[in-house]
Amino acid sequence: MKVIEIENLNKIYKESEIEVHAVNGVTLDFEEGEFAAIVGPSGSGKTTLLNMIGGLDDPTSGEVIVGGSSMSKLKGAELTDFRLHNIGFVFQSYNLIPVLTAKENTEFVMRLQGLSAKVCETRSEELLNIVGLGERMNARPNKLSGGQQQRVAVARALASKPKFVLADEPTANLDSKSTETLLEIMEKLNREENITFIFSTHDARVVKKARRVITLEDGKILSDVTKNGGE
Amino acid sequence: MDKLIKMAWRNIWRNKRRTLITIASIFFAVFFAVIMRAFQLGTYEHMIHQAIESFTGYIQIQDKEFFDDPSLDNSFKYGGELANIVENNKEIKVAVPRVASFSLASTGMQSKGVLVTGIDPLREKELSNPEIRIVKYRLTIEAIEKIMAETKLPKKQLELLKIHEKGSFSSWAGLALGLSLSGSLEDELKPIITKHTKFEGQYLKVDDDGVLVSDRLSKYLMAEVGDTITLLGLGYHGVTAAGIFPVRGIVKIPSPDLDNKLVYMTLSKSQQFFDLGNRITSLNINLYDPDEMMEVQSELLASINSDKYTVKNWEEFNPTMKQQIEGDSVGGVIFIGILYFIVLFGIFGTVLMMVAERKREFGVMVAIGMKKAKLVVILFIEMIFLGFIGMATGLGAAAPLIVLGNKNPIRMTGEMAKMYEDMGFDPVMPLAWFDNYFVWQGVIIMIMVILACIFPLEGVRKMKVMNALKA
Ligand SMILES: Nc1ncnc2c1ncn2[C@@H]1O[C@H](COP(=O)(O)OP(=O)(O)OP(=O)(O)O)[C@@H](O)[C@H]1O
Ligand SMILES: [Mg+2]
Repeated sequence: MKVIEIENLNKIYKESEIEVHAVNGVTLDFEEGEFAAIVGPSGSGKTTLLNMIGGLDDPTSGEVIVGGSSMSKLKGAELTDFRLHNIGFVFQSYNLIPVLTAKENTEFVMRLQGLSAKVCETRSEELLNIVGLGERMNARPNKLSGGQQQRVAVARALASKPKFVLADEPTANLDSKSTETLLEIMEKLNREENITFIFSTHDARVVKKARRVITLEDGKILSDVTKNGGE
Repeated sequence: MDKLIKMAWRNIWRNKRRTLITIASIFFAVFFAVIMRAFQLGTYEHMIHQAIESFTGYIQIQDKEFFDDPSLDNSFKYGGELANIVENNKEIKVAVPRVASFSLASTGMQSKGVLVTGIDPLREKELSNPEIRIVKYRLTIEAIEKIMAETKLPKKQLELLKIHEKGSFSSWAGLALGLSLSGSLEDELKPIITKHTKFEGQYLKVDDDGVLVSDRLSKYLMAEVGDTITLLGLGYHGVTAAGIFPVRGIVKIPSPDLDNKLVYMTLSKSQQFFDLGNRITSLNINLYDPDEMMEVQSELLASINSDKYTVKNWEEFNPTMKQQIEGDSVGGVIFIGILYFIVLFGIFGTVLMMVAERKREFGVMVAIGMKKAKLVVILFIEMIFLGFIGMATGLGAAAPLIVLGNKNPIRMTGEMAKMYEDMGFDPVMPLAWFDNYFVWQGVIIMIMVILACIFPLEGVRKMKVMNALKA
């Protein structure tokens, strides 16, 4: 089943006289349960592409269709609501709400979805256990390491039961040990819970774990390789 | 909602220092505004009490022409239907008949224009009550010398004696307060001071043919109890009014202006003196509730014979005082306005910074699915918290001072007191009791907080997620 369909997507930034074609005619599909990496040199358009897939940025032209519905029709609060119910996000850093504990951060999106306190609590505890932070549930972000914060961010991204999770360079600020742990968790969730992950990265070790690798250059797809049977 | 409140509460404590500074600025603004206003309103109330409630009354019924031409020719007979109307009005506490007219007073040495006021000695107890104002002690220069010769006073009391030189007191309690005497010192000094300062003087009897002279006037005329003063004036229909009157007592009137010119005699004696028959110049009315003044005035106006009489309230027959109060009040309001304006900008700065430094965080929150409207609500609650804490502590700190300053008004001494008296005020500064003004300061500061939020929060509402995420 296709989760995301991207059709001839373009993003052009105009800076005074110069036009930057950040994403240039990208057409792509993602199936449910993918574990895909978007790679490419700095400035190749990875972040721009992910933001448009996530409904955070408007394309100049083209369409992103999530679960059969086109996002370009949605505006303002509707779009926010759409993200809440369909997409999980992990950003590069400062993902968490500083005044909320790990558990409260995880519950946050479920609360926004209007789930009961009981459901939120059970699910957030379960997710934090999965990401290995069962012991640190009541710590605020400033008491957690960068790697732990990113794991909470993953737990939060999953809390809303999204159709897919977008992660823009989730390991960029992490050391190799934390990178490995985070990747293992994401892989496990992908394998066991069939969660769709789409992430961008510069890190060769992260690329190695991906089952599909999409390479961008100057906003265009240079290659799109799916490895058979994992490693 | 409780989650939002919890988040807002935690958010304000993220930057403790800024939060405390903001709260402190609100605290001080509210505190000073309340105290300042309380002083102002308290002083006005006191002025009104002294001049209006203790002398003129809130409302006067006069002959129609009297207001523009206060001559004895425009006097009237009180009784009949008019008396009925007045006596049946439930809001009226007391209505006293008076005769008031200017005359020239003279003792052998000095003469001065005085306001001869004819009163019913019994009924007048319920309005100006001159009886409790009869001077009982006077710190004349000779008295002070004798006291100092007879006993050794502590330094403080010596200084106070100097300040109160020539001062008059209508009770021992007042004198003891003025000299700051209490306990064993008071017991020890009372007989000595009393011996040298005791002052004879009596209130008017119902059929008295003497007069009471106000304190300052008596000093000017050098009239003592037992002396006589000569009054010379113009009576009803232009007859000459002249007479010699023994001084029965000296009255200390709290309004310095009146204290300079008042001579009381019985109503009947004044009617005889001015050849008025049984006519009076005004009926002075006190009310149970001063707030009902306008109401009572219009009721009276509607029911009396308006061809003959008119009804005036104190703001009409004492416009100078009304203007004084209004002018002073406007000054105070402007000052408070400036104070609040400064605080408004302080709060505005806080909101702006609060929003600017958390931009990225807002970006993440909106990206993962929080509606901007909710975000705005959180920020708004944060500001309401700050405003409310500042307001509540400010009002809380002012409250005990108001209780204290209302029950024990600041009584000025020395130079300051003299300055006040020269301007025609009683040198007392009570704080007004809790009233609308108190609540208003709280309301206004909360309005300021809300105003300060509008622009920055509108910015959050218009924020672009992408830009916020990049911050
Ligand atoms: N807001 C913007 N205004 C103008 N140009 C932009 C803007 N955002 C991105 N660009 C340009 O678009 C191009 C693609 O940028 P993008 O951030 O998507 O690259 P990236 O692949 O994520 O790079 P990196 O690996 O460094 O994160 C770049 O040339 C960049 O300069
Ligand atoms: Mg990027």
